[in-house]
Amino acid sequence: MAMTGSGTRAGGLRRYYDVNGWLFVAPALLLIGTLMLYPIVSSLMLSVYSGRGMMMRFVGAGNLVRLYSDPVFWTALSNTIVFFVIQVPIMIVLALVMANALNDPRLRFSGLFRTAIFLPCITSLVAYSILFKSMFSVDGIVNRTMMAIGVMDQPISWLTDPFWAKVLVIIAITWRWTGYNMIFYLASLQNLDRSVDEAARIDGVPAWGRFFFLTVPMLKPVILFTTITSTIGTLQLFDEVYSLTEGTGGPSNATLTLSLYIYNLTFRFMPNFGYAATLSYVIVVLVALLSFLQFYAVRERR
Amino acid sequence: MDNLTWRGLGLRAALACAGLMAAAPAFAAEITIWCWDPNFNVAIMREAGQRYTKTHPDVTFNVVDFAKADVEQKLQTALASGTTSALPDIVLIEDYGAQKYLQSFPGAFAPMSGKVDYKGFAPYKVELMTVDGKVYGMPFDSGVTGLFYRRDYLEQAGFKPQDLQDITWDRYIEIGKAVEAKTGKKMTTQELNNGGMTRIIMQSGNGWYFDKKGKLAVNDNAALKGALETQAKMIKAGLIKPATGWNDYVKAFTSGDVASVVTGVWITGTIKAQADQAGKWGIAPIPKLDIPGAVHASNLGGSSWYVLASSKQKEKAIDFLNEVYAKDLDFYQKILTERGAVGSLMAARTGAAYQQADAFFGGDKVWQNFSDWLGKVPAVNYGIFTNELDTAVTANLPALVDGKPVDAVLKAINDQAELQIQ
Repeated sequence: MAMTGSGTRAGGLRRYYDVNGWLFVAPALLLIGTLMLYPIVSSLMLSVYSGRGMMMRFVGAGNLVRLYSDPVFWTALSNTIVFFVIQVPIMIVLALVMANALNDPRLRFSGLFRTAIFLPCITSLVAYSILFKSMFSVDGIVNRTMMAIGVMDQPISWLTDPFWAKVLVIIAITWRWTGYNMIFYLASLQNLDRSVDEAARIDGVPAWGRFFFLTVPMLKPVILFTTITSTIGTLQLFDEVYSLTEGTGGPSNATLTLSLYIYNLTFRFMPNFGYAATLSYVIVVLVALLSFLQFYAVRERR
Repeated sequence: MDNLTWRGLGLRAALACAGLMAAAPAFAAEITIWCWDPNFNVAIMREAGQRYTKTHPDVTFNVVDFAKADVEQKLQTALASGTTSALPDIVLIEDYGAQKYLQSFPGAFAPMSGKVDYKGFAPYKVELMTVDGKVYGMPFDSGVTGLFYRRDYLEQAGFKPQDLQDITWDRYIEIGKAVEAKTGKKMTTQELNNGGMTRIIMQSGNGWYFDKKGKLAVNDNAALKGALETQAKMIKAGLIKPATGWNDYVKAFTSGDVASVVTGVWITGTIKAQADQAGKWGIAPIPKLDIPGAVHASNLGGSSWYVLASSKQKEKAIDFLNEVYAKDLDFYQKILTERGAVGSLMAARTGAAYQQADAFFGGDKVWQNFSDWLGKVPAVNYGIFTNELDTAVTANLPALVDGKPVDAVLKAINDQAELQIQ
């Protein structure tokens, strides 16, 4: 209250706090400004130019027109959407089931299992991609094992068949990220009130019923959060497909993602930084849309 | 986006550090060089540096070994951002990409015409580094191609070395079927996500993705059509052991899984590294397309040295390249015998090393053969969009295998390419 008074002493105090406050946030602001805001604004400006390397000229909305008629862009976009529409639900369900199993107090060695499931997500992206590539080559360990146990009699050409290449990417990112999401569920499961579950059990609700009608609804905010972060992560998918396909996004562009296409436009093809910047804004718009959906869903719940 | 941003930042930080370190020595000149193959161009450049330092003790060399994709990425980032302090003095660029860099970053590379006598080099190498009458690089190795085959497997299937001389691709496929029937080995291997094979066959048919003026020429391109149809036939006949990447590709023929491979001469060193296979290999000219103008010779890859215009040691770097790569014939004999590098300096071909027979290849005069074939490689205009066209071709080749008519496939490639190369 004194701060809003008209006395000089109060005004001085306010200025004192103002100056110090700004001094405290200045380093952070400076860093955010130069490392975040400047590149964002500068890439927005870049996106209205087009050309070869440094020979850029102003094209206005020309890049958007090109985007609309670029079949490779649409392939990349649909691949990206296929990846998150199929992969995210699989991963979320798997993570939920695993978290629920690990949360069972009767389970022994749960710490060991928890570590084992979480471990993939602290491995290097490139290292595991290269490992997957060797495991899933035509005469790799996966094909050999499956043929040895009689699951199939012909080796699957994981990396050279458009369909199986997509499957492989989905397997790879699921392996890498399931444990990460599971940890979120496990943490919130441990915060849930056990008495609710116990009450239901005493009332004779079977285990699957308690899982679907008690646990899952109580975890809804976390599920929402992990779904959105996973979707955003999948939208930016780059490292895995780059390493698995040596940067080509092949076979037949079947694993080309938006991020990989941006990389190709900048580094493999005749460099067109303007068009690549336009494409990166497509990802920004998609991420913004999905984040908006998240806020919308959360607000509706309350 | 986040991911890319962070990679970009890391890269910039790394480049900035490299720049600081490069700026340190003042007059005892150190020339920094970027290249990519430790057994090939890196080792060769170290050898070249040692030779120059002997006569110019004040000049030392720092040969930096990156992966090829990293060299290109760093070069492109530094040129685009204008942080020239991060750049080396000399960089190796693959021939397919030369015009792309020269045209899209004008002024970034130092012209060398007038300082180097280009008349001594294979003309196609000089042409691909010329923009508006100025020549910008020092021609290095050629990627003249050959058919490397396993004598032992072919013999088991009943074929003698002369049965592989001057054959057509159709005959190659027939032989391949027989080899698989008799030995159980696939005839060859191929990276199906890589356009290398298309480029080899296409250039041997005196064609390219572009015409002589650099304009897109995909529709009605007999050489490209032949290249695609040949590959589709090979895939359908089951001759190819598919490779998922470069390492997988190399493993297929070095481990004895396939009976032959068609590729550039620079693979010789890798093949000869398998000492236990000595005497089991042979070389032959590559098979030919059945179209007018086609020959038994082609090219895959090959690269050249470029001096950055921003380099503080520009004059010394040019002098170094000129002294060693344009004049030192003994150097070329050494890199040929030790590294299998077929240079593009014509005078080097008369040296003794080119006449030697190689017991590893069953006594074939390997180098003489390659240098004969080099003279027959059709000169084409590589243009500036090789990677874009490669992508379009590898994306559409599977449709041809599945039975889509070849003209429709060419049209699909053309349509995708047209949008990519604006």
